[in-house]
Amino acid sequence: MKLNRRSFIKSAAVSSAVATAGSIFPGISFADWKRVKGAYGITWKKAPCRFCGTGCGVLVGVTNNRAVAVKGDPNCSVNKGLCCVKGYHSVQALYGRDRLKKAQIRKNGKMVEVPIAEALDVIAAKLKETVKKHGKDSVAMYGSGQWTIPDGYVASKLFKGCLGTNNVEANARLCMASAVTGFMTSFGIDEPMGCYEDIEHADVFITWGNNMAEMHPVLFSRMLASRKRKKDVTIIDLATRTTRTSQAADRSILFKPNTDLAVANAICYEIIRNGWMDKDFVKKHTTFHKGKTNIGYGTEDHFKFKDKPENMSFAEYKNFLEDYTPEKAERISGVSARDIKYMASLYGDPTKKVTSFWCMGMNQHVRGTWINNLVYNIHLLTGKISTPGNSPFSLTGQPSACGTVREVGTLTHKLPYGVVMKEKARKKAEKIWDLPAGSIDPKPTYHTVEMFRALDRGDIRFMWIQVTNPMITMPNLNRYRNGALKDDRFIVVSDVYPTPTTDVADVILPASMWIEQEGMYGNSERRTQHFDEIVPGPGDTMSDTWQIIEVARRLGFKKQFPWSQKNYIGKIWEEYRRFHDNPKHNMAPYEVLKARSGVQWPFVNGKETRWRFNSKYDPACKKGSDFDFYGKKDGKAWIWARPYEPAAESPDQEYNFWLNTGRVIEHWHSGSMTRRIPILHNAVPESYVELNPEDAANLGVVNGELVKIISRRGSITMKASINGRGVPPKGMVFVPFFDEDYKINEVTLDAFCPISKQPDYKKCAVRLEKA
Amino acid sequence: MKKAENTRGLVHGLAAICLVGLMALPVMAAPGIPQGFDANGEKIFKRYDKTPLAATTGTDGKRNLNSYYELRQYPGSPPMIPHDVDPSFSSKGLKCLSCHEKGGYDSSKNAYAPVTPHPENELCFQCHVPKHAKKLFRENNWLSIAPPKLGISELAGSPPPIPHSLQLREDCIACHTGPAAVAEIRVEHASRGNCRQCHVPFISTAPAKEFKRKN
Ligand code: SF4
Repeated sequence: MKLNRRSFIKSAAVSSAVATAGSIFPGISFADWKRVKGAYGITWKKAPCRFCGTGCGVLVGVTNNRAVAVKGDPNCSVNKGLCCVKGYHSVQALYGRDRLKKAQIRKNGKMVEVPIAEALDVIAAKLKETVKKHGKDSVAMYGSGQWTIPDGYVASKLFKGCLGTNNVEANARLCMASAVTGFMTSFGIDEPMGCYEDIEHADVFITWGNNMAEMHPVLFSRMLASRKRKKDVTIIDLATRTTRTSQAADRSILFKPNTDLAVANAICYEIIRNGWMDKDFVKKHTTFHKGKTNIGYGTEDHFKFKDKPENMSFAEYKNFLEDYTPEKAERISGVSARDIKYMASLYGDPTKKVTSFWCMGMNQHVRGTWINNLVYNIHLLTGKISTPGNSPFSLTGQPSACGTVREVGTLTHKLPYGVVMKEKARKKAEKIWDLPAGSIDPKPTYHTVEMFRALDRGDIRFMWIQVTNPMITMPNLNRYRNGALKDDRFIVVSDVYPTPTTDVADVILPASMWIEQEGMYGNSERRTQHFDEIVPGPGDTMSDTWQIIEVARRLGFKKQFPWSQKNYIGKIWEEYRRFHDNPKHNMAPYEVLKARSGVQWPFVNGKETRWRFNSKYDPACKKGSDFDFYGKKDGKAWIWARPYEPAAESPDQEYNFWLNTGRVIEHWHSGSMTRRIPILHNAVPESYVELNPEDAANLGVVNGELVKIISRRGSITMKASINGRGVPPKGMVFVPFFDEDYKINEVTLDAFCPISKQPDYKKCAVRLEKA
Repeated sequence: MKKAENTRGLVHGLAAICLVGLMALPVMAAPGIPQGFDANGEKIFKRYDKTPLAATTGTDGKRNLNSYYELRQYPGSPPMIPHDVDPSFSSKGLKCLSCHEKGGYDSSKNAYAPVTPHPENELCFQCHVPKHAKKLFRENNWLSIAPPKLGISELAGSPPPIPHSLQLREDCIACHTGPAAVAEIRVEHASRGNCRQCHVPFISTAPAKEFKRKN
């Protein structure tokens, strides 16, 4: 054994320790980190985790105004004291050395630091000037599912209300839009009926294209714990690639990209054929519908689509399913008829409670709305819905995709209550916002992809981007970056670190991060989570909410933004709450939110609603009903006939591989925060391309060798990962998108679901070269 | 494959312990006359040389507070994984637990596996990640507090309180006993079992509270 100096000293220290084993050395410890001076004792304050839509409660340890530690919040029912590696190290993201602390303005092509008031003046002036020159719809706000609820609320109030433009979108369009349209078309009201407690009640879990082990690890752990305790729990991973979730599951079933549509229909076919349908439930609580087919992919500018729902009879629906016998679906999907029958038997078994989980696999899908509908069909046909453990569960990716984007309605067609197209909704907003009637435009403008196309075309000239990094995350990125860089485009970016998006900015505003401000998030299970300002932010940093308020006041909207910096969050919350003043959506009062580790809505008569649409749990249901799907006028949920249609761009002779993109457990989205957390960066320092071992052999590459990935839109060269943490099937490659040095979205395609307008990041065609 | 090696390692260790027993026997049978020892001396010395220190002393002496905190970002943070690990964390997430649930000697690492205090959590990679980078992406100004001091007894000789939070670490035996225990916090009287009979939490990362009677 060779001893180098270091290990020699170490082993010497140890042997002396061993020699005097049993004795202790008071005061001796050798932590690797630098210490807060003179600190002893920590105060713990609750907050929701900064990262994923699971919405774990964390306790942040504070000493001398610095966050120094984290533990899971035992009072938060989401995670009951357990976090994931991102949550445990989340506070380190506050202290990256290159934190943005000062406002910057582009002067003669160079960014120079200025007092923040000057930057706010410039923003207000530029907004005014642009509206005057190019019209109100030439200015836009692009926000995020990581906006706090007040952030999104004031953004909507300023742009939709005061400025009268519906140019408000958020990156949640890229992650949750299909979930929303899925809910709206099937149930007429957004967000899951169930809650995380379903996990402890369910006997069977089917994850649809959802690598939960990495993306919602704390929920996945709850699933594993339940399986361990109850023994007869089955987890099935239905996916397009083998992941850590597949490894932990009892069965891993692979389907070809986009063919989940066929698999879901075949499961319904089997359920009906075997008499597993809950006839009573279906008769009492559902109606059957079909819509347009062959609906396109939205790859061209100004793409328009409007579905035309038609009623159909059960017999017609049954007839429609004839195209999806297990055997026919096998030919489309590559899933064996046996496996399809097996899954159908699990859904159909009346003694088993079944929960389906999904997230980006079903939402980032050119038929995202459809596949959401189809999985609801399965649960509706079997009556396995809205009861503990029987739950079609659409998970969110961001901490406040639900809270800020879906509930506040920071999408072009939405308002905090209802949609802009409805007069009643506009009137309500105008009243609460103290605006003259007719202030809100009844016409939606651009969804996210089209908004960036409008920026490229010049229809939009001013864009304010907050808490998101579109210059990493937009599909077909080259076009949109070039668009943003064009002359006469003015881009404002509020962020906490320099990113490829601040690189294209004309003004950068230093933002408060997470617990440096007071705010609320809303997680996947309708849970609103309040956090205080726990530590002060550095330099001139300012909350996104307050930045918007400052600009609004400069534009003359003092009346709409009257609050003081001392208590604006509470005031905004109470104003916002008026929009949801009904038992289907009631939100908890500010004081309750402050006191608890998250509160679920509908919050009615001081009680949270765990399962919606079930009169046992949900006071909004009609008296005397058992189930009431009150989102639809007749109280009935819709079962949809939606066919299988292929992806926008499938592999062909020339571009012969599927490209799939996604995340890893260590990194959050574009990595601007997690890459500055040492332990997370160390674990996955750079992105890579996962190849199937056979494809790698054919290409002649081994682990770590460079592969060039080429699509019709761009190319990228990165290291190969073979038999790494995930293994794609033959003919597919997978690339994590967090790494700004390997912008995989220069390669992806900006095709989207025509109904939800959410792009499909999981499917486009590429070819590979050994580089 | 790895698993097979482990078992071999364990057998190795056991063999060594038996050997110690055998060595002692003849000495006791005939004091002063080391029967067979001289004749077999070379073999025994060779065997001794080949037997890892860990197997003969019951500790590999590798873990001390220094190395313990090197793997952490603040007192109580989940430690990173200091050894190679299959990126897939395969076979139902249980592979980590095959060593870290009960511990034992792993000859491939020439070390005893530390025992997890929370084996009920099977999704290890949820909190524990390996280190693959040599350089940071960007520098970080992270500061935390001093780790808890050891042996802060209230009275001379009184049992020291538990200085850390018990969340996910309520199993004292896992970390404070056995061959993989950190040298400085290894206890010699684990056989007493009921640790919290004498040691009560006095958590250094919580503000000290004094008892005050209400009215
Ligand atoms: S699972 Fe999500 S919310 Fe929970 S700690 Fe991890 S990143 Fe945070």
